[in-house]
Amino acid sequence: MTVDIAWHNIYYLASVVLFCIGLYVIIAKDNLIKKFLGLNIMHTSVFMFIIALSAVDEGHAPIMVEGAVAPFANPLPQALVLTGIVVAVSTTALALSLIIRIYRHCDTIEANELRELE
Amino acid sequence: MEVMDIRPLLAPVVSFACAGMVFFYGSNRHWRHFWMLSAAITKMVIVLSMLPGSLRGTVYYYDVIDFTGGVGLGFRADALGMFFSLVSATLWVITTIYAIGYMGGDEKRIRFFGFFALCVSSTVGIAFANNLLTLFLFYEMLTICTYPLVIHKETPEALRAGRKYLAYTLIGGAFILIGSVMTLDAVGTLNLDRPGILNATVDPGSLALIFFLLIAGFGVKAAIMPIHGWLPTAMVAPTPVSALLHAVAVVKVGAFGILRTVYNVFGVDLLGDLGYTTPLAWLAAFTIIAASTIAIFQGNLKRRLAYSTISQLSYIVLGAAVLTPFAATAAIAHIANQAFAKITMFFVAGAIERTTGKTEIRELDGIGHRMPWTMGAFTVASLSFTGFPLFAGFITKWYLCLGSLEAGQWWFLGVMVASSLLNAAYFLPIVYLAFFKPLPHHEGRRDEESPRIHEARPSLLIPTLLCAAYVIVLGASADVPGMPFSLAKAAVQFVFGM
Amino acid sequence: MENWPHWLVLVVMAPLVGAAVVPALSLRNRALAPWIALAVMSVTSLAALMLLVRVAREGLFSYVPGGWEVPYGIELRFDEFSAVIGIICLIGWLAVLFSVRYVEHMPNVVPDRIPYYYALLLLNMGGMIGFSVTGDLFNFFIFLEILSLSGYALVAISGERIAEMAAFKYLLMGAISSLSVLFAVGFIYGMTGTLNMADAASRLAGLDGSPAAPAVALGLMTVGFMVKAAIFPLHVWLPDAHAIAPSPVSAVLSGLVVKVGIIGVIRVQQIYQDSGVVDLAILNQLFVWLGAISIVVGAFFAIFQEDIKLMLAYSTISNIGYIVMGLGLASTYGVIGGSVHVFNHALIKAALFFAAGALIYRTGYRTLTDLRGVGKSMPLTCAALSIGAISIVGIPPTAGFLCKWYIALGAFEADQPFFGFALIFGALFIFIYYIRMVNAFYFLPPVRSEVVDAKEAPLSMLIPTLSLAALCLIMGLAGRIPLSFIEPAVMRLLNGAGG
Repeated sequence: MTVDIAWHNIYYLASVVLFCIGLYVIIAKDNLIKKFLGLNIMHTSVFMFIIALSAVDEGHAPIMVEGAVAPFANPLPQALVLTGIVVAVSTTALALSLIIRIYRHCDTIEANELRELE
Repeated sequence: MEVMDIRPLLAPVVSFACAGMVFFYGSNRHWRHFWMLSAAITKMVIVLSMLPGSLRGTVYYYDVIDFTGGVGLGFRADALGMFFSLVSATLWVITTIYAIGYMGGDEKRIRFFGFFALCVSSTVGIAFANNLLTLFLFYEMLTICTYPLVIHKETPEALRAGRKYLAYTLIGGAFILIGSVMTLDAVGTLNLDRPGILNATVDPGSLALIFFLLIAGFGVKAAIMPIHGWLPTAMVAPTPVSALLHAVAVVKVGAFGILRTVYNVFGVDLLGDLGYTTPLAWLAAFTIIAASTIAIFQGNLKRRLAYSTISQLSYIVLGAAVLTPFAATAAIAHIANQAFAKITMFFVAGAIERTTGKTEIRELDGIGHRMPWTMGAFTVASLSFTGFPLFAGFITKWYLCLGSLEAGQWWFLGVMVASSLLNAAYFLPIVYLAFFKPLPHHEGRRDEESPRIHEARPSLLIPTLLCAAYVIVLGASADVPGMPFSLAKAAVQFVFGM
Repeated sequence: MENWPHWLVLVVMAPLVGAAVVPALSLRNRALAPWIALAVMSVTSLAALMLLVRVAREGLFSYVPGGWEVPYGIELRFDEFSAVIGIICLIGWLAVLFSVRYVEHMPNVVPDRIPYYYALLLLNMGGMIGFSVTGDLFNFFIFLEILSLSGYALVAISGERIAEMAAFKYLLMGAISSLSVLFAVGFIYGMTGTLNMADAASRLAGLDGSPAAPAVALGLMTVGFMVKAAIFPLHVWLPDAHAIAPSPVSAVLSGLVVKVGIIGVIRVQQIYQDSGVVDLAILNQLFVWLGAISIVVGAFFAIFQEDIKLMLAYSTISNIGYIVMGLGLASTYGVIGGSVHVFNHALIKAALFFAAGALIYRTGYRTLTDLRGVGKSMPLTCAALSIGAISIVGIPPTAGFLCKWYIALGAFEADQPFFGFALIFGALFIFIYYIRMVNAFYFLPPVRSEVVDAKEAPLSMLIPTLSLAALCLIMGLAGRIPLSFIEPAVMRLLNGAGG
């Protein structure tokens, strides 16, 4: 029974675990690239969570073509995640450009060494 | 009778506008003096024009703006407020003349006169405040505007004094703010237009806390011991500032706030039932004696005057705390009596400093021979403080004694007597030194018999003499109709519901 | 005129479109950029003014772009809390004006990229305005990201030595908080199947089962917005970011962007208050405590700062503490005080940062010791700074006093007098710093010749600084206007009737 519930909610559980892993990486790692990879893991976990919300048992992709059969998965969360991915990409771009500029100025991207430079 | 009238608002606005004029157009000496004097006289005229009505029992009020939704900026010239504003308006005229003479060559005088006017503006604002919030507003404004005056000399010592002054008064201000908020929360109004807004339905713990907060907050400026520490330190300021601090604005505002707390926030009936004033009375009595004792040991003239101020202010507090009509009369009247006498003394101290450069008491031997008029004024003020009949100080002591007997608290008579003796002990030796000791040999004398008279310049001397004369007028003709004293009586009648 | 329904779309779209247009139009002549941005902000301000008039007349109203019915379409809602866009437009307009001269002289600035600075500033404005008026949870997140991303970039742009580092720190914390908000949005969608706030509130109320899931969503949202609002202990990103950003940006960040967190908290509270599914009392008590700690911690750190902008940044933490405390008290006066302080603090802090920026622009120095004696060479700027200081400390009759008064009254109203004391004495604490500042500017002998010889700030800086300083005084005396304006919204928030 318990296993069944867990299996049913596997995506939710996985996203929470991923969220925590991402947070851990951000806090624990000194390298800025790693920190920001942790942030990407967090992004992914949240997207997975929202996508999982759209699941419908036996549901098909909500693409209205000739011969499509109900039930369909909920399209709204998928649209949300698309938008979310755009945001994540912009964040990534900005973070990477910041890291490049930090490296140019300080010749390092280790947070502990940067702290000493300040 | 209550009449809506703009004059209670105009009185503070005049000084405020004057400050603006001085800041923006003050670089020309003549214009600056013109603005200062014309504003001082205009204000005097405004206040005096309300006097006849006020004596007939008319109360002028003007509500400006309700800026918090419930409590706002409002002015109200009741008898007590009129009394206080009359004192400060009169003294502003006199002090302005003196300050113009005293500050002559000082390079920061624009700043000085500007903030000076702002201080007076806040003082009158406090006198006419219609509610605790308006009172608090001007109280804080006074604190801020006095700061540049205290640190006028910009020496490290002055800055230290300024910091100390701000620390004391701002914490006091915070106390008043919390007290006001609690009052508003308890009774829903802060108006000072009736004898007591708090009532016995408020829970006793809150009442005690409000009383403590308000008295402690105002007590800082009234320099009740043990929260008087800022006052002697603030003596580094130029003499007209000291005069302003000690006689008119700052300390009197504290004392006035205590009167408002006792008479208008709590009311004598409620306080009579609660009995909170007994410890306050004892604290005041202690301050009177202790400060006078300390004053005896001060070698610097201005410091001695400072401790004397601390002692004198507690007369007002004591009068308020005794809660009888006679004592209340004494408390209110002492606002004027102490102000004129003390400002005379500070003017004398300043005149001596400017004319001869002397600041220590031991240097004053024979100074009366050179500056007979100045020291004569000092003598008048000394006699007033000692409680000599026909001088202003006598009125206070007489009514305070009557009040203590009325309340059955005869031990305050002992305090009065002791205080008079102490006053004599620290003021009369100065008079003795000045008139009965010879001038030291090296100082300017033409020959043995007639030392050369070298008075202070007229702009310093005339205000001093005016104040001294007024001390006698206040004392000798207190009960003449039309004198401020009748306002004090009217205020007492209102407070005690007589 | 104010009933034209499309003002609400215009006010959001104008700055966003403007952000795209400014760099394009100023390709040939980059001197045009600030003036186009100013024109865009003027249009936005006009729209905001119309909306303010309308909300004052008829209260809450909403708009559905494209004619899609609520709850399917994306709803824009304008209530009294949304009136914060008025102050956003005002300060945004002034910040653009202030930037005209300021940006040219920033260290390491590439002249050709200056139009992008204005684009970022407009994006930031658009994000904030959208955030304040949206009635849709996902849009909420999108606008949050727009304003946050532009904010990170604006911090990095300043060219100061550790600017990128501060921006990166800001980005990490900001992104985590945004994700936390998005997670919560997903949660609420999962539970209710709707993204419309009002609809979500009513569906949450009809939800049976344990309140655990709604509580988790509430927690995630709250933590996310607390980071944005820089409430202790989530404030660590703020001081560096706000101190290092270019001064007009600091004014926007400190005055407005942190308020986004507060508005977020208010919106979330609206949803949960209406649904009644989770008891908010514990959360409110937490807010009160965190607010009190923020006040003291912010003030305490501010005392030890030599750098004026760093000090102002710490004082922001302290002031956000006021707001959060007021909201957490959940008594009428407390919430009114907190909400009014959202407006007033924006005015005051922007005035202070503008003035500090003008000093830095003219003298090149930013520490108290270096700036000694500047009061004589730049009297108007220093007067504005002093007025701002008096106002933020809460001396009557300035704007800052009112909020202190209301919140203290709210503390006694809510029977939590301890916080009234904490508030008022916390304010005294910060006074210490401002006395140091005033002493340095006016009463201490100068140490730098550049400071003595500095000229008064140029007109494009003086106008924003002085007008905001004047508003600090006016809003103190006209305090009833925001009060009566915000009161119905506060009543709705507290009584949970109809969100």
